[in-house]
Amino acid sequence: MSLTQSTNKAESNTFYRANLPLGTKKILLSVILISLLFVPGWFGAATSNLVEYPATWIVPLNEWTSNGIYWLVNDFDLGLFTFKEFTRGISWLLTRPFILAEGILVSGFSFGSENVVVPPLSWMGVLLFCVLLALRIGTPGLALGVGLSLLYMAVFGLWESAMTTLASVSVAVPLGVFGGLAIGVLAHRNGVFAKILNPILDIMQTMPIFAYLVPVLFFFGFGPVAALTATIVYALPPMVRITRIALEQVPKEISEAGTMAGCTEAQMLRKVLLPSALPSLLVGVNQVIMLSLTVVIIASMIGAGGLGYDVLTALRRLSIGQGLEAGLAITLMAIVMDRFSQAAAQKSQVKRHENPRLPIWVTGWAILAALLLPTILSNWIAIFAAYPEELILSTARFWDDAVTWININLYDTLSTIKYGFLINVMLPVKQFMHSLPWSGVVLFVGALGFILSGWRLGLTVAALVFFLAMTGNWEKSMTTVYLVSVGVVLSFVLGFPVGLVAVYSERARGAILVAIDTLQTLPSFVYLIPVVMLFENGDFAALIAIVAYAIVPSIRYTEFGIRSVSKDLVEASDMMGCTRWQAFLKVKLPLAFPEIMLGVNQTIMMALSMLIITALVGTRDLGQEVLNALQKADPGRGLVAGLCVAFIAIIADRLIKASADRMRRRMSGQKSE
Amino acid sequence: MSPMASVTTKRGLEFGAPVLSCQNLWKLYGGSPETLLRQSNGKLDPEIIRAAGCIGAVRDVSLEVNKGEILVVMGLSGSGKSTLVRCLSLLVRPTIGEIFFEGQDLLAMSRRELQDVRRHKMGMVFQHFALLPHRTVIDNVAFPLEIQGISKQERTERAAQMVELVGLAGREEYFPAELSGGQQQRVGIARSLTVGPDLWFLDEPFSALDPLIRREMQDEFLRLQSLLNKTIIFITHDFDEAIRIGDRIAIMNEGEVVQIGKAEDILTSPANDYVVEFTQGISRERVLTVQKVLMPAPASFHPTQFVMETDTLDVAANTVLSSDGPVGVKGAGDDRVLGIIDNKKLAKVLYEN
Amino acid sequence: MKIGRHLFVGMAAAVVSLAGTNVPAEQQKSKEPIKIARHDWSGNLVTTGIAKAILEEAGYNVELLQAEYMGMWPGLESGDIHLAVEIWSTSAGELMEASVATGQTENLGEIGLTGLDRWWYPKYVQESCPGLPDWQALNDCAELFSTPLTAPKGRLLLFPAAWGGFDDERVEALKLNYEIVRAGSEAALYAEVQSAIRRDAPILAWFYEPHWAPQRFDGDWIDLPPYSDACYDDPSWGSNPDMAYDCAKPSGPIWKVAWSGLKQSWPDAHTIISEMELNNAEIGDMIGAVDLDGRDADDVVAEWIAANEDRWRAWLP
Repeated sequence: MSLTQSTNKAESNTFYRANLPLGTKKILLSVILISLLFVPGWFGAATSNLVEYPATWIVPLNEWTSNGIYWLVNDFDLGLFTFKEFTRGISWLLTRPFILAEGILVSGFSFGSENVVVPPLSWMGVLLFCVLLALRIGTPGLALGVGLSLLYMAVFGLWESAMTTLASVSVAVPLGVFGGLAIGVLAHRNGVFAKILNPILDIMQTMPIFAYLVPVLFFFGFGPVAALTATIVYALPPMVRITRIALEQVPKEISEAGTMAGCTEAQMLRKVLLPSALPSLLVGVNQVIMLSLTVVIIASMIGAGGLGYDVLTALRRLSIGQGLEAGLAITLMAIVMDRFSQAAAQKSQVKRHENPRLPIWVTGWAILAALLLPTILSNWIAIFAAYPEELILSTARFWDDAVTWININLYDTLSTIKYGFLINVMLPVKQFMHSLPWSGVVLFVGALGFILSGWRLGLTVAALVFFLAMTGNWEKSMTTVYLVSVGVVLSFVLGFPVGLVAVYSERARGAILVAIDTLQTLPSFVYLIPVVMLFENGDFAALIAIVAYAIVPSIRYTEFGIRSVSKDLVEASDMMGCTRWQAFLKVKLPLAFPEIMLGVNQTIMMALSMLIITALVGTRDLGQEVLNALQKADPGRGLVAGLCVAFIAIIADRLIKASADRMRRRMSGQKSE
Repeated sequence: MSPMASVTTKRGLEFGAPVLSCQNLWKLYGGSPETLLRQSNGKLDPEIIRAAGCIGAVRDVSLEVNKGEILVVMGLSGSGKSTLVRCLSLLVRPTIGEIFFEGQDLLAMSRRELQDVRRHKMGMVFQHFALLPHRTVIDNVAFPLEIQGISKQERTERAAQMVELVGLAGREEYFPAELSGGQQQRVGIARSLTVGPDLWFLDEPFSALDPLIRREMQDEFLRLQSLLNKTIIFITHDFDEAIRIGDRIAIMNEGEVVQIGKAEDILTSPANDYVVEFTQGISRERVLTVQKVLMPAPASFHPTQFVMETDTLDVAANTVLSSDGPVGVKGAGDDRVLGIIDNKKLAKVLYEN
Repeated sequence: MKIGRHLFVGMAAAVVSLAGTNVPAEQQKSKEPIKIARHDWSGNLVTTGIAKAILEEAGYNVELLQAEYMGMWPGLESGDIHLAVEIWSTSAGELMEASVATGQTENLGEIGLTGLDRWWYPKYVQESCPGLPDWQALNDCAELFSTPLTAPKGRLLLFPAAWGGFDDERVEALKLNYEIVRAGSEAALYAEVQSAIRRDAPILAWFYEPHWAPQRFDGDWIDLPPYSDACYDDPSWGSNPDMAYDCAKPSGPIWKVAWSGLKQSWPDAHTIISEMELNNAEIGDMIGAVDLDGRDADDVVAEWIAANEDRWRAWLP
């Protein structure tokens, strides 16, 4: 099949080359492609249905989905129990570890007559425990960082919230990790399952959480479990993917060694594959931690409490400084957990025979005692139970003043820039997007898919575009595409040079890495409100939020792509006498291009994942549709709009990957896959 | 005892019954190989296979390994030697053919039976060592025993013996990443030997090592073999190594075994040009024995100096060159003169082509 | 296997806990928590806080659940949530009526507050637009309230569309030369107002009461033609003979709503919440204390409880 296909392609290529000068073919192809967009418009009024999707053609998918969900909730009976009882049973199960974690970290336990009280872990105990643990598995530097971060939470009066957040993260992360591991292993062993799974993972990752919140609330009830479920749905897919990749990357010889030792399948998995893949798997764990903390804010909107709730309430009354303090605590928590997991990863293959350079008293028992002793004492001595209130600091006033100053002094300049950009760039793009006939877009995207990969991709993406029109979400989808594409282009225009700076200057690189780590984990809501103060509600504020978040992958992948260009080639170009600029332009950039394309891909995904946040500053895109559906408790409408977001993501992903693949294949000289 | 000596003595041994044998083994990738093979009765050339969209990784291989013998499978990369050894160990299922191990049909075995055979009767060493990165040396070596469910104490004891055998005593608690390549492969060797296998596969065990280390490891390997006397299938792309180690050598090209035999037979009568290519540049004096080049002794001739017929030429050269005339050749353990050899003949054999 | 068993136990327990709601009240009291929905505006922290405190005084175990204001109805109907004490007829009146009509929820009467939901402008705009607060002056000042994107129309900043309120119709019916811009969230709306006030810039926005914003920011409500049912139902009413909605919004009562099983499971709690009554002034003060003075909501509630013991004691059966 693939063989004949590629032969045909090769022939047609030769045909073009024989008749047309190089380059003309590309231009011709582009002209044909772009003209597809407008074909329906040329036929005038007779085809107005092909320009604007008629309301009568809209398939009432919203209603059907809602009815389906109501049926599941109300009528679906599995025999022994109903579906709702089943989901509620799961919910009950999921609540148990949560209650336990919350009891340990936040509220403590009381038994029976309330005379017997077990206090929650003392703040001092947790602090000591983490510092000692960091000393044991990592470096003194890590211990210092961990100590300061935890101290920050205590000193700024965020301890209890931080522990509440930690409690929910500490339930979500293991569930995400082990769930993802199990699914990933299944996918590794069963190709069919893996094929079915892939688009589902895509949807899980790109569908806004609010889109499935209403059904989640129906099935799992209100309260922390809904937040937990949403967090897991969001944080699980990378773990599944990384598990698969990690297992595939275990050297074949190692699994052969296992086979030759006579391993059963279970032994193979438990003793050979998973342990060998451990370093990669830990990357997955890290992703789950990061993503769980990314959704802390959203989770707190549906009952998770903790730091996210602090951020929200502070910002709701415009206390930007307080919001920032709580937001930074989330960032610190993310970074601490990340560094901890990295240290653990390195630890797993460190010299066991050499005595670690540790103070002799840092033993397991000492660490445990550091945790428990202050906790026991906290029953009688107040300072162990809670950080003294009179010592709590706040820098909120400073931040508030800073924002006020900027607000007063820079507003006019910034708003001139804003209106200039809006009127000259954003609005024309928006109008252009809205002027496109839906059928033309279906044709265009389908043809693009066909050219890049073949019939399958072409038909798939065309069908996905049609879904946007079919469900009556065309206009909102195009608004989404407009916002996201302007955001992505801007992210790259700004992020690409920053990435280059990081390549060529080691010193700048350190600072840039810290900055992008912060951008990625600092809840965007924290800077969204000051942004609104400067730029008003609307698309421009949304754009800034999108760029602030989506710029991260554009920097990372640019840096990574250029850095990973093979040294040989760089040396070769030096020997040929390239100037630095020539070496960059003619060697590094083209070679890094596929990598950078993946950066574009990630940038698009990130931009799309901001839609729900930008809806909070008054956009009128799919994110707003999802938010509206949530506020009207309409499960079908939310799910369908969420699917539209996911589909836009999938279309972009598939097209970009197909073209990156094509480029890679050309570079590596393979003719077909 | 010098390593060369051990090879020469071993070559004098008679080998026992075949431990592993295969007949008409094929492994094709891509296309629909079964139909292709059935239609063509096993007579296929690379062109037909390619035209059908198949790649013939192993083509119509028949061979046997006898008890206590080292069979070296030699070929360039892509010649199918690695696939062949994987077919023989059933890591890769051959497309068609028969494999017998100690008289049992390997291909007819259930998963369970095969697992059992591997647990107790086979060992394998890999090119890139294939050590489990998360386990220490001792735990890596004990791994096959652990799989069998042997108690911790027993397996640690047995593994410790193996670690000592390969000369790594004292490094039991090291992780693989902390060892040099040669040391890692010693661990791989120890691991493959812990269960006391009857059949030992070595898949290019020394290819990933530096030349000096490689030589040292070959010596080590021969030392072990002189102690253990295993039946061995040894894969290599290095003809020198094949000559040093193998009792017999099978040369592979494009999935086929083009010649199989003792090193000196291959050297003296290469089957085709492909084999000739290999034999060129080989130091023949270390491979050829006097037996291959002796001339009939004239009846009147009574030599005063002698060499043994099993001596390689480099060993015999001392005597031959220091003698004015021809020297006599004797068989092992008997005083009859089998023939003569002189310096002219020696020079002719070594330098003619 | 193990997981299966746990699941079964979980399921069994879930069934028991559902069935358990029929157990006599005395056993239920103090064990099973009463779940009150808490929403995301600050006044709600105070009202739910008071409800929680009183029920706890009466010996109940109470849990506050963070719940989406508009999205919580299925939860109330299924008994996941037992109480919601602040349902504004101005925003959620229709949802509430529909829910009560299912028989799964019950209206426990007014909480005594009145929700007001109007257009607002800062005091300093008065000078540049002296005709205010009369709505008829709005068209004269459209230029003043405009931005480069809306010009020549004025800009009217409103809450998210999902909250209803017929403002699009109102602008059209009153023939106002204004473009409606929707803030995506309350926080974003007030952020913009705050920014305008810092710069003494004109702004026309939607505010509601009881809320901290009218307390913090010095300004006035726009006077629209007063609401009447006829205005909404009858196009010929009011200044525009062809369209309805040419008047202000109704000021609406705020309701307490319960899951219909509350009365049977916790009859005393049902009585207490039905009796509970607060007023705009005191809630306004408490919101100010929390949002303007930055005090802890729990402390503010505790003060109210201490100061008003006679009042809430009277609500206990």
